[in-house]
Amino acid sequence: MTTNPTQARDGAAVRLTGLDKRFGQVHAVRGVDLLIAPGEVVAFLGPNGAGKSTTIDMLLGLTRPDSGTVQVFGSDPVTAVQAGSVGAMLQAGALLPDVTVRELVTMFAALHRHPMPPARAMALAGIADIAGQRTQKLSGGQSQRVRFALALIPDPDLLVLDEPTAAMDVQVRRAFWASMREFADTGRTVLFATHYLEEADQFADRVVVLAQGVVVADGTGAQIKSTVGGRTISAVIDGVAPEPLGQLPGVLGVDRQATRTLLHCNDSDLALRALLDRFPQAHDIEIAAGNLEDAFLELVATSRQEATR
Amino acid sequence: MTSSTTAPRATGDLGMTVRYALMSTRLAFRNTRFLVVTVALPLMLFLLYANLYKGQDAGNGLSVVAYLMVSMASFGCIGAAINTGARIAIERQVGWNRQLRLTALPGHSYLVAKAIVSMLVTLPALLLVFLAGATIGGVQLNLSQWLGTGLAVWLGLIPFAVLGLVIGFAGTVDTVQPISMITYLGLSILGGLWFPIEMFPTFLQDVAKVMPSYWLADLGRSVLAGDGVPVNAVLVLAAWTVVLGVVGVLSYRRSGAKV
Repeated sequence: MTTNPTQARDGAAVRLTGLDKRFGQVHAVRGVDLLIAPGEVVAFLGPNGAGKSTTIDMLLGLTRPDSGTVQVFGSDPVTAVQAGSVGAMLQAGALLPDVTVRELVTMFAALHRHPMPPARAMALAGIADIAGQRTQKLSGGQSQRVRFALALIPDPDLLVLDEPTAAMDVQVRRAFWASMREFADTGRTVLFATHYLEEADQFADRVVVLAQGVVVADGTGAQIKSTVGGRTISAVIDGVAPEPLGQLPGVLGVDRQATRTLLHCNDSDLALRALLDRFPQAHDIEIAAGNLEDAFLELVATSRQEATR
Repeated sequence: MTSSTTAPRATGDLGMTVRYALMSTRLAFRNTRFLVVTVALPLMLFLLYANLYKGQDAGNGLSVVAYLMVSMASFGCIGAAINTGARIAIERQVGWNRQLRLTALPGHSYLVAKAIVSMLVTLPALLLVFLAGATIGGVQLNLSQWLGTGLAVWLGLIPFAVLGLVIGFAGTVDTVQPISMITYLGLSILGGLWFPIEMFPTFLQDVAKVMPSYWLADLGRSVLAGDGVPVNAVLVLAAWTVVLGVVGVLSYRRSGAKV
């Protein structure tokens, strides 16, 4: 299917407006607005429980939002799905039991109006060699690739992948992203959820960070990396107030932890050189990769402060 | 979509529904447990009974073996129809229903397809028990009696097909096996498929007469005996179909929020 018939009236592939969803006490998604242009490859980055899957479910029409609207290529998600404009790889679960991979993919294709030939979907997903195997006997990584083949079956203009590389080992992961890119390069729109910053940075043109149901950052991988992917220098620095430390190049913030001082950096190399240059008494120095979860929470706090300002 | 595609789309839905029903039916037959419970068990019971009661007369122009043939066929068919529910519950559990909602198959077509599956999977039990009746059981009927009785029993299974859907959407993968087993055996015993209800205490005879299983067998035996289609049986079975249909749609909607 070409992209023409499903091009949105307003040009957007995905338009989420004020999306909100509660499950009992849990406020899973709190007012998400998002616009994705056709051809964009967007990563949804966030820790577990950030609302990524719920947002994706609403985007696919699997879950109805409490408030807000979803538009996919200008129509409602169910219409877009039934027209075959959307393909999705859902999270986990098992595959239909008692069938071979080929039968499953063929069966799925039979439920679409203009499917991609099953053999082509299986080749693209790299599962031609396991086509004759029963679904119960597949490894986690193989099942994921079968799911990827199912997502390709509608030959969709929008491909949605919910944590696609969970259960894949490094090699399979690499092969998976290569096939995803190959498909995306034909001008398709791709949205994938992940909680790995590296994946988001490497494979997406744009990274949207979701935490506690809110979009807390939206930018290129490099931009997001400098915000959430920084390192922390921990050192004992006797007789120095926090203020001059905070002004060192590459340092974003300063914390005290007992006798140690923590310097949160977006460029730890630069910060360390400056630190040793100006405060040579610093000792017991440790450098740790920033904790993504903490960074997310910080982003949430920042975005709330901005909202109340 | 342009207006010119409306008609092909409607037929497309129907084609898709039938295709899905056939594929789904094929999968059901792959399950060994399914074949044992719904085909082998009633067949064996029938052969056992047929051997015990060979040559006896049931009193209403029927041989006991013919009577048992209808009962055991009904027994197997009910099991097969209800078993569809177990399969639905498993498919829901593994997330297949979420996956299906990402296809062009509409929700109502899915329900129709699964009801068709329920009806189709009853056929082996029906045909094999009848075949055993005609051969080993020595039941002698003319062709129109065979066809009429088979068709009566098969169409009488419609409420049980709907019951399978109800179980599939009301149950979970953990509860569906006990629920379907209890329903299967409960309906079979209380409906008089294992023992004639004349052997029951009076209050149980009253219970039997609200069971769809009783009326299913009654329908089959009436047609077999040449008494035509009993209106009571049709009314009771139709009432069950309506009630279960409403419950089924409600539980399908409720399950949509979870799956």
